[in-house]
Amino acid sequence: MMLRPVVAVLEREVLKLLRQRGRLLSAMVRPLLWLLVIGAGLGAVKAAHGEPAYQTFLVPGVLGMTLLFGGMLAALSTVYDKESGVMRMLVIAPIEHYWIVLAKALGATCAALLQALLLLVILGLLGYLSAQVSLLLLVAGLLGTALACSSLGMLVAAFSRSLDNYATMMNLVIFPVFFLSGSLYPVQQLPDVLRLVAALNPYTYGVDLLKHAAIAGPAVSQGADFTVVLDLAVLIGFSVIALGIAAARFSRDTANEPLVHRLANNL
Amino acid sequence: MTGAAIRADRLTKRYGETLAVDGIDLAIEPGQFFGLLGPNGAGKTSTIHMLSTLIRPTSGEAWVMGNSVRTHKLAVRRSIGVVFQEAALDRTLSVAENLRFAGALNDLPRAEIRRRSAELLELFGLTHRRDHTAAALSGGMRRALDIARGVIHQPQILFLDEPTIGLDLPNRRAIWRHIARLRAELGITVLLTTHYLEEAADCDEVAFLSAGRIVRQGNPRALTETLGAYIVEVETHRPQELAEQLAPRLGAALIEGERLQFCCDREPADLAALQAELAVTAQAVRWRRPNLNDVFLWVNHSGTSQKRAA
Repeated sequence: MMLRPVVAVLEREVLKLLRQRGRLLSAMVRPLLWLLVIGAGLGAVKAAHGEPAYQTFLVPGVLGMTLLFGGMLAALSTVYDKESGVMRMLVIAPIEHYWIVLAKALGATCAALLQALLLLVILGLLGYLSAQVSLLLLVAGLLGTALACSSLGMLVAAFSRSLDNYATMMNLVIFPVFFLSGSLYPVQQLPDVLRLVAALNPYTYGVDLLKHAAIAGPAVSQGADFTVVLDLAVLIGFSVIALGIAAARFSRDTANEPLVHRLANNL
Repeated sequence: MTGAAIRADRLTKRYGETLAVDGIDLAIEPGQFFGLLGPNGAGKTSTIHMLSTLIRPTSGEAWVMGNSVRTHKLAVRRSIGVVFQEAALDRTLSVAENLRFAGALNDLPRAEIRRRSAELLELFGLTHRRDHTAAALSGGMRRALDIARGVIHQPQILFLDEPTIGLDLPNRRAIWRHIARLRAELGITVLLTTHYLEEAADCDEVAFLSAGRIVRQGNPRALTETLGAYIVEVETHRPQELAEQLAPRLGAALIEGERLQFCCDREPADLAALQAELAVTAQAVRWRRPNLNDVFLWVNHSGTSQKRAA
């Protein structure tokens, strides 16, 4: 019964991603810049102190970055759907409105996974993938992180009347989530305050799970800060709670009134 | 409930201090073409949004195909199609993809969507545009696509909220031809809101909304007939004086700036005589058949004179 509407929302999300070549390209360039430029630069500093290769440490972080940006930007596009008329199609459809939130979150998850898979292919071609990678943990890490990032995006979108533009979202939401995680540095070695913030950041656990997967080799799995079970519990728990709040917020009786008012005021 | 397609009972919507819809009652029969008319802000859109379950009534109740808009929202939404004032389309998707998306949201199988899309695109003259993006369509074609989107699931009732707003005359006519074809082919019940009153002349029944209340309701022809055979318009620099002078013969005048209007049942010969008599004092004297605009003006006029009396 709900299958066709949900699949339709997923299909639209993926179709849009594949058509926006610029979005797909920038989703590949961003992590590669971090890995190949910043990774190499900071790696040179660390190598001078006899530390292990920083670039290998960064691989799970940049993979997580693709999931974070991909998932959140796709989920936050819900805010723009309100302006563009797509939300009108969705709210008038004979489906409970919480399904819109779930379908959009799943669509964003698919979009994020697609981008991460493409990046994995590029990383493989560049020789950053290890034969010792744990496929099971990699799949769990990709799915869990993509879902958590998309859920976070839906939570933000549900509480946003209008976010001015993508730059606002990047600077206020996505960058803080990214920098305050274990993507760029091991969490345990951070100063107390930052360590606490990183521990409260659900995205930290996604990157941690990807570290466990030993994408670039066994040395990296030692960079993980938490256990696999804790990572999975946080990612799933956070997604369920975030989507629950977003769906409740979206289904309340007055949820469509801003939309309706805007229509009425435009006369 | 009764066999009415749409029924409203003391339906009310309040936004904070503002009473947008003030306890309206409606009974619209299946297959009827019903017009909800009135100026901007009269409560038309709020009424449509309550009837389509998008906003919750503050009080009162309404039933669409026998289903309560409060408690059976999904059943209501399954039986209706809604065309909003602003298009409910994804501008980045093609014409065919928009219909496919809308069809899937209504749980239609692919083959069914393909068949109905082809029919609707043919009906609305959009077949040759099926692979164009919605953004690339002209305003008129986009509105036609939006109506096709609204009826892809063959609803029993179609809500049209100002379907021709912002369109030029040829496109407005085209949209009305499309709606007429839909009604002829599907026997669909249509609830229309518009403030282009001449567009409502073909409705089976119209209701005039003013400040959230229904102030007049009936068949458009019957309503215009109540005004009399003719509307006499007199342009003059001394409207008050002339209104008083003509009142014993033509009744109360509706004064708009330097223009007086009277409703009357006089013969054209009498009016020609009046025209000659006023040749000096008035700039112009004309008479014509009344239309729905006049009904609306006179409803508001009697409303204000009642207020004055009270």
